[in-house]
Amino acid sequence: MITIDHVSKIKGKTPILYDVSFEARPGRVTGFLGPNGAGKTSTLRILLGLDRPQTGTALVCGRPYRKIDRPLTTVGALLDGSGAHRARTARAHLRWVAASNGLPGSRVDEVLEVVGLTSNARKRAGRFSLGMSRRLGLAAALLGDPAVLVLDEPVNGLDPAGIRWMRGFLRDSAAQGRTVLLSSHLMGELAETADDVVVIDKGRIVLHGGLADVIGAHRTLEDAFFALTGTEAGGAW
Amino acid sequence: MNTARAELRKLLTLPSLRWTAVLTWAGTALLAYAYGVTQPRGDAAGLAPLGYAQAGFLVLGVLTAAAEYQAGGQIRTTLIAMPRRLPLQGAKDLTLAAVTLPVAAATAAISTLPAGGGTWTPAATAYLTLTTLLAAAVTGIVRQALPGVVLLLGLYFIAGPLLRARYGAVAAYLPDTAALDPARGAAATITWTLAALVLAAVTFARRDAAQG
Amino acid sequence: MVSPVRAELRKLLGLPTARVALVLGTLLAPVVVLLNAPYNRRALAAGTLSDPTQLGLRELGVGLIGALVLGVVVVSSEYTSTGDDAPGARQLTATLTAVPHRLRLLAAKTVALVLVVAAQAAVTAAGTLALTQALHGEYVPLPAPERVAAAILYWVLTALLAYAITLITRTGIVPLTLLILNSTVVSVSYLLTKLTDLAAYLPDIAGAHMFLRTDGFPVELAPVTAGLVMTAWVITLLAVGAVLFHRRDA
Repeated sequence: MITIDHVSKIKGKTPILYDVSFEARPGRVTGFLGPNGAGKTSTLRILLGLDRPQTGTALVCGRPYRKIDRPLTTVGALLDGSGAHRARTARAHLRWVAASNGLPGSRVDEVLEVVGLTSNARKRAGRFSLGMSRRLGLAAALLGDPAVLVLDEPVNGLDPAGIRWMRGFLRDSAAQGRTVLLSSHLMGELAETADDVVVIDKGRIVLHGGLADVIGAHRTLEDAFFALTGTEAGGAW
Repeated sequence: MNTARAELRKLLTLPSLRWTAVLTWAGTALLAYAYGVTQPRGDAAGLAPLGYAQAGFLVLGVLTAAAEYQAGGQIRTTLIAMPRRLPLQGAKDLTLAAVTLPVAAATAAISTLPAGGGTWTPAATAYLTLTTLLAAAVTGIVRQALPGVVLLLGLYFIAGPLLRARYGAVAAYLPDTAALDPARGAAATITWTLAALVLAAVTFARRDAAQG
Repeated sequence: MVSPVRAELRKLLGLPTARVALVLGTLLAPVVVLLNAPYNRRALAAGTLSDPTQLGLRELGVGLIGALVLGVVVVSSEYTSTGDDAPGARQLTATLTAVPHRLRLLAAKTVALVLVVAAQAAVTAAGTLALTQALHGEYVPLPAPERVAAAILYWVLTALLAYAITLITRTGIVPLTLLILNSTVVSVSYLLTKLTDLAAYLPDIAGAHMFLRTDGFPVELAPVTAGLVMTAWVITLLAVGAVLFHRRDA
């Protein structure tokens, strides 16, 4: 269960988040949708304790991230890139992450298996393709078998097989009772995956609710999105 | 504890750190030989190569701290796995000191023992280790390797000697004086290192995490 | 050829690190002259300053760190990761897509570097010597133009040395550490000259002889010879760097 409550953030002199509030509930996939620069990543970074908000709270299972003991066993996060140093091998990277939360080394081989990187375990992270980097990031997120998954643009860089795999994996995770929050700007994909949708634009929450409610009278999620955010197709990029 | 174990693994699996340690030791050995041939034995010949060895230890500290901030976003992985920043910073400092100590001892030994300056070996070991910690702290604040290297090497090898030559009294306040004149410089080295470590810890705890 | 050079100039001057190096490297020597002025005035009046004719020229050395950083950054900026998504991606990819002929690219980089560093050297030399004249003119004659030219050449060759080593090692840490260490009051090279006379032919020792006369070296090189020795070093290392750059994967 994720609770974002009245979060505001100013970066330097520029406000980037205004009074952002929403929930992501267990057993459901919540899609966090918005144009580039809307504040999706900023919100997630605050949720994960990387940045500090000016006001508001972001809680996972009722607690701020920094107060959670061995957080990887509660939350698995996939952000930009692989999160690994490019000179380190995939296995060495996962081993230190596992060690940081007291997780056994056997978990490393298990997650490598799940994401399909076993044959590349001894390769240096800097040699990974885009898709492999994402899978390595996901592997790290799964080490602690967490109840909550937070993913920033998870299908970015994946090939069609990978996208389908990810979709299935996320839906299964939710079906198992996990809380899944993923941010994306890929409407079509999100419509296939999410149960609930939160739409953010220019730092403000525009709408949130069940997928069907957000689509409302529009034909597709994409139509609803453009209508809600007032962005023109092909307009300011 | 877990954090320390993770930081230790990180240190031991970064190839550039191994290379730096090995090259520093080898370079010091070479210089110790050169000094041994050209100068009579004694404390001076034993300590002089360390003036150069400290460059290697500065680089070691810089590379260790900068590794978190290179593209790839490792700092985010680190903070997500271990979000409590002050304990994390403490664990980083302690594990770095622990890993540097044997390297420093080996380097100090190869320099001082052959020249008969053996009484200085423990002090030299401590000095080199503190130097690495100082470099790591400074680099943790600037978050990039190149500026860290230029800043530290510039201070130690250009600004320091210039200041000492012109304003002798300043020597007692510079961090690297201890390499030349251990009795005079020890307090300065310790103070500078502690101050840098504290400053690094405070900025780390309060800042937003780097973008990666 | 003009377009690649212009592109490289833009690239170089757009880097914050390069800008800092440019400014600092230019200002350091004059500032040192200023700071040392009281001491030097007294020493000159008392006649205790060693070799007053070199005052000003000697101080130039302190600004070399700017030239070093510029030489390093021209190359190292190509090898820094461009983003988190694929740590293997580097600016080099974009560069080589625009200018695929590698030796041409290197030539453009070299020209751009030489232009920037020569300009910096000229400015700082002019500034430092003018300041020295203003402060200590009665005691210190203006150095002969050949010596000033030699100092500028030394400056440029030093930057090229850093550049060549960075090409070979693909990281700025190695050349910076080596060359800053060597610029100290008692450099490693100087130490080696005590071991073997051959060390006098190391690039920085030889190079300094181009415009400074120093005692304590076993071998005195005539300025022209010194210039040739240092140039030979730079050309050799540049050649090695060029071959590696040409053949390696990006």
